[in-house]
Amino acid sequence: MTPFASLLPTDHFLIMTLYALLVSAFFALLWREEKRARVLLFVKIFFALVVGALAVAWLMYPFPS
Amino acid sequence: MTTPAANRPHWAWLAAALAWVFPGCGHLYLGRRKTAAAYSLIVTATFLLGLSFEGRLYSPEPGQPLTWLATFTLCGAGLLNIGARALSESPSGTILAATYDYGCTYLLSAGLMNLLLMLDAYDIATGRKA
Repeated sequence: MTPFASLLPTDHFLIMTLYALLVSAFFALLWREEKRARVLLFVKIFFALVVGALAVAWLMYPFPS
Repeated sequence: MTTPAANRPHWAWLAAALAWVFPGCGHLYLGRRKTAAAYSLIVTATFLLGLSFEGRLYSPEPGQPLTWLATFTLCGAGLLNIGARALSESPSGTILAATYDYGCTYLLSAGLMNLLLMLDAYDIATGRKA
């Protein structure tokens, strides 16, 4: 554990959103050169990850483990 | 605008090796300071968050072929991986922690991101990418 562990989110949705933020920022930087194109790709990947995860979670709801 | 560093010839393998050592170093060597700083921030944050979420620093295990892949992926993080293994009190993570799976995902993603950065630095140095 790190010293700032108490500052970390423990909520599953927040952890997932933080992950989506980091991954979408990384790929927007890697795959696009212009600023506007980067922002657009960032928004697309971020929403695809978050909305996709929520959609899969919703679809899995009737099938508890 | 090109920096003086951007005008000098680059050794592609050196750029890739530097990218492995620490995230963003390969791009810094290629004269791309801003993207190097951004990559460094993103990959390091992802890796440190993975450690904080008590994820596992995988090691190869006999009979568990996926642990070999996971180990290779983590090795992509370069010094971050080596330093974490040396300094971590529990390299195998805390499997009972609620955030264990997230930690593993963050750590593996950081390794994969840095592997992609190595390829990107190599492509830029060889002129395959602008």
